[in-house]
Amino acid sequence: MESTPVITKETKKSIHVDYEGKLSFKDRLLQKLKASNTWIKLAINIVRFILMLGVSYVIINPFLSKIAGSFMSKEDVIDSTVLLIPKHFSVDIYKYLFLENHYLNAFINTLTLSLICAVAQTLVACLVGYGLSKFKFKGNKIVMAVVLLTMVIPHNALRVSFMQHFSHFDLFNVIAWDYKGPIALFNGGNTVSLSDTYWPLALMSITGIAFKNGLYIYMMRQFFKGVPDELEESAYVDGSGVIRTFFQIILPLSIPMMITIFLFSFSWQWTDEFYANLFFTDPESTLYLMPDVYGKVPKTLSNAIKNFSGKSIYQSVIRNTAGLMIIAPLIIMYLFCQKFLVQGIERSGLVG
Amino acid sequence: MTKLKLFKKKASLDARKAMSGYLFVAPFLIGVLAIYLPILIDSIYFSFSEIAVKEGAGPGALPDLVSKGIEYYKFALDAKSYTDALLSALQTLVFQVPAIIIFALFIAVVLNGKMLGRAVFRAIFFVPVIIATGVMESIEASDYFTQMNAAGMESGEEAAETSGNNLFSAMDLQGLLAYMPVGTDLVDVVVKLVNSVFDIVNFSGVQMLIFLAGLQSISPSIYEACQIEGATAWETFWKITFPMISPMILVNAIYSIIDSFTRSGNAVMNYIGRAENTKGGNPSIETAMYWIYFIVVILILAVVGGICSTFVFYQRRE
Repeated sequence: MESTPVITKETKKSIHVDYEGKLSFKDRLLQKLKASNTWIKLAINIVRFILMLGVSYVIINPFLSKIAGSFMSKEDVIDSTVLLIPKHFSVDIYKYLFLENHYLNAFINTLTLSLICAVAQTLVACLVGYGLSKFKFKGNKIVMAVVLLTMVIPHNALRVSFMQHFSHFDLFNVIAWDYKGPIALFNGGNTVSLSDTYWPLALMSITGIAFKNGLYIYMMRQFFKGVPDELEESAYVDGSGVIRTFFQIILPLSIPMMITIFLFSFSWQWTDEFYANLFFTDPESTLYLMPDVYGKVPKTLSNAIKNFSGKSIYQSVIRNTAGLMIIAPLIIMYLFCQKFLVQGIERSGLVG
Repeated sequence: MTKLKLFKKKASLDARKAMSGYLFVAPFLIGVLAIYLPILIDSIYFSFSEIAVKEGAGPGALPDLVSKGIEYYKFALDAKSYTDALLSALQTLVFQVPAIIIFALFIAVVLNGKMLGRAVFRAIFFVPVIIATGVMESIEASDYFTQMNAAGMESGEEAAETSGNNLFSAMDLQGLLAYMPVGTDLVDVVVKLVNSVFDIVNFSGVQMLIFLAGLQSISPSIYEACQIEGATAWETFWKITFPMISPMILVNAIYSIIDSFTRSGNAVMNYIGRAENTKGGNPSIETAMYWIYFIVVILILAVVGGICSTFVFYQRRE
């Protein structure tokens, strides 16, 4: 009749207990295995795991083959017995891309540009998203519709007029072709050319009309909709103003979401090619951006492969390597931020 | 007296709140009015007029605009290569958007549940969101192996098999399916889908994130109630998850359509891009082509949005 459980082992986290009628470990395992449920669950888990592994392979495979190719010398490229592991290991491609295609210069310029754009876009998305979600004012819905409209119209369609406007920049100057706006008035009737500077992208970022900014504003709006109004009301009751409430209470709450948007806008600006070709047109300019890195084959390499039979394959390998060098900083940043990415999205409550 | 005062005070608070609302959206309003709207209007204006460079003017001078009416639109619609590109872009849209949505939903459901190595898989699956745009897209398109695959596919050669970069040989699949009594149209659809597996996986990152967010917002107590009532996982998915996630399906359908037609790898974008780069190309015609394309897509968005929103279930809250 002794039924008091006896503690055999006790630590901070777990406790092992012996009691009368307790089955041995082997028996418990057997019982578990006999249950039909276990096997089905196990099978589902295995199938699921293999499937995920397969899809991951589809994503990673291009990178693997690009990385493998980037370390090959030109003999390996046309050697059909070489698939992934090079026979003649060489870092020539990296070396010459770095030295002759102005990688460092492009890196610093693109970093500056992307940081300016990403910080501005994140802040503006917060501001506009907050304004649209928490305040009722006349034209609220119209502004939201315009936000969505800026998302739908492809910037390619506006290419020519982008070029015109920013190379003859003047606020309001253009609805009527000859009308001169405020800048021209101060400038003796001349407009300002903003091409080959950061200004066009910076201006578009700070006003929330750059690439995919509509999406960011929408995401922020949905996020703020999920923040309970009571939070702000209590702040107002305690005598805090609207702006102070926003910066001291709302912004700290939305940091995961802000990191998500920062990550999106930074990396989309980093790999951008369209605006780089549009606003940085001067061939003499020393303002190199990332697309310049992969744009041409380094001189030393192109001389070396002049009469080489596998020329086009090797050029392709060089381009792929340039691509790897372009995205390497992004991958490193992503590894640090990806925790926030899922967290931010999970908390966003993007529903409805 | 006191009543009047109270009323006045309340009105001013509302007005103040409205003012702060304007303050918050001011950057965007200024941007739209001062920069975006002129650019937009100009672009439409360009498509209706000829851009003539002034005689003897410097390289930076503003050109003259000569009104041409709808001539360029007519020209664009008469160009067979353009309408072909338009049709093929629409075809891709019809193939890919449902596939992307189904795939993204499936992966999101799997990633939402507990499984071995979930964090690692999540990290891998969202890599394309960051990377599969811009420069990488054009590198991928100009990749020697990709081009070889495409060429091999078209001429029916299996040249691509040696490259080591392709995932499947579509010929095997085609051969397998050809003996099945399902008709060649269906075979074509399946082969096309399999060929674009890489695209589908790469373009469904954002959609996956949106679905994951939607799944996270479904209250676990609903699932608990289902379990107690004895519903199977299959029933739970179709009766609970699917209706609850349906607003996300609408959002994703619209996002995928926009994404698919603004992507630079798109047939129409490619076509117009090539026209831009050839010498003697007329920017007005290209702008007109973009606008025709835009109108087509807006129509599609309206139809899809209309159809989807009749099926969408919104949970009433509070």
